[in-house]
Amino acid sequence: MAILLSAIPAILVGFLLAMTDFPGRWIVIAVFNALMAVPTVVIGLTLYLLLSRSGPFGEMHLLFSQPAMVIGQILLCFPVLVCMSHAAFQGIDRRAWETARTLGAHCARASVTLACEARFALLAALLAGFSRIISEVGCSMMVGGNILGYSRNIPTAIALETSKGEFAQGIALGFVLLLLALVLNFALASVRGKGQLV
Amino acid sequence: MGLELTVDNLVKRFGTRELFAIEQLQVREGESVHLKGENGVGKTTLMKIMAGLEKPCSGTVIVTPKQRRWWSGRIHPDVIYLHQTPYVFMSKVIDNVAYGLKLRGGSRQNIKIKVKQALVWARLEHLAEQPAHSLSGGERQRLALARAWILAPRLLFLDEPTANLDRHSVSTVAELVSQLLKQGTTIMVSSHQSNRVTELCTRHLLLEGGALHEGVHHENMPHEIDSMMEPQRYAQH
Ligand SMILES: Nc1ncnc2c1ncn2[C@@H]1O[C@H](COP(=O)(O)OP(=O)(O)O)[C@@H](O)[C@H]1O
Ligand SMILES: [Mg+2]
Repeated sequence: MAILLSAIPAILVGFLLAMTDFPGRWIVIAVFNALMAVPTVVIGLTLYLLLSRSGPFGEMHLLFSQPAMVIGQILLCFPVLVCMSHAAFQGIDRRAWETARTLGAHCARASVTLACEARFALLAALLAGFSRIISEVGCSMMVGGNILGYSRNIPTAIALETSKGEFAQGIALGFVLLLLALVLNFALASVRGKGQLV
Repeated sequence: MGLELTVDNLVKRFGTRELFAIEQLQVREGESVHLKGENGVGKTTLMKIMAGLEKPCSGTVIVTPKQRRWWSGRIHPDVIYLHQTPYVFMSKVIDNVAYGLKLRGGSRQNIKIKVKQALVWARLEHLAEQPAHSLSGGERQRLALARAWILAPRLLFLDEPTANLDRHSVSTVAELVSQLLKQGTTIMVSSHQSNRVTELCTRHLLLEGGALHEGVHHENMPHEIDSMMEPQRYAQH
């Protein structure tokens, strides 16, 4: 959900960072790189402060709700997506753009062509963004509140079960996550493998 | 009305270094131009600017008759630039060739027929279903030619089309280029030395020391070995 919301704008930002040259571009890139490494609880804390009753967005009553968790997750995966799609577009030859343009593609169409050329790297970016989301506890816990059946997700459930001493339950949920991660990564690997073989 | 490309007071700098300054250059439809110059004098840069892919620091490049769409910017649809080492899209040869035509639209049937013709023309029909990345240098060059040919350009820039090719591929490319010339395509070829392709040209330009010189160079290096090998290139296909 969060990944879908942030994918397109993040890839666009990555594209712009790779293709355009404006003063201060490297600062923006550095900032996104730094954000990628910020611990999830810090983002959670920031969001908590922003959304809590006394915070600037307090009137929206978003704290401990699903929208709050989604916002948190978007904040988490956005920098990852930006950095990885930036790298993806930078890895593409500048001749690809020129070839598309000289063969009659307008700018938007040429961008789509570039995204197609970078499709595997972009897919990997999506996966990395998704990993960031499913592997974090801190942010969901702080702004979602881990309310049963509403704002509890697998990682926060594991944290809860473990703190209650119910290790079996925690381990089972852990396996579910592991499986999910494995399936996704295998899917990507097979698509990529096919793409290179054909 | 014939296509005409006019260059006026063109200057290109990289940083503080001036690469070239060109006062006047006209290329008219039907011409075949050889742009000669040592490596690094800026042949590639000049051709990219003329094709609208790069911006000059000052000066203008005007192609008449104008055929501008709001989005096409400096790039004229009848002008195509081919890289020294062509970029091939990560797809099959056949999709690479169809790329430009699909952008223009038209019925699928029509596109299919034209792609087929282009593949036969460039002698790539046996590779149609191969991934374009598996092609050799000569085959990539032919792919690039087919990809442009299919759009029936009126002005074609060829950037050192033979620089990385073996002799056999050179003669195939030369053959294709001479067919383009017969079809009335205007061609500008860059090359640091004369070869089978530049021999087809009737007008010679020399880019040297940041300036462009006009001149008819009769190269005194006939390519006898190449001509002797000519019959072979049909035998192999
Ligand atoms: N984007 C660029 N930035 C800085 N210098 C460049 C750039 N593109 C080309 N140059 C310089 O311009 C010079 C001419 O390059 P080029 O047009 O490729 O020459 P040629 O095709 O005649 O060998 C080279 O010395 C190269 O270093
Ligand atoms: Mg060059």
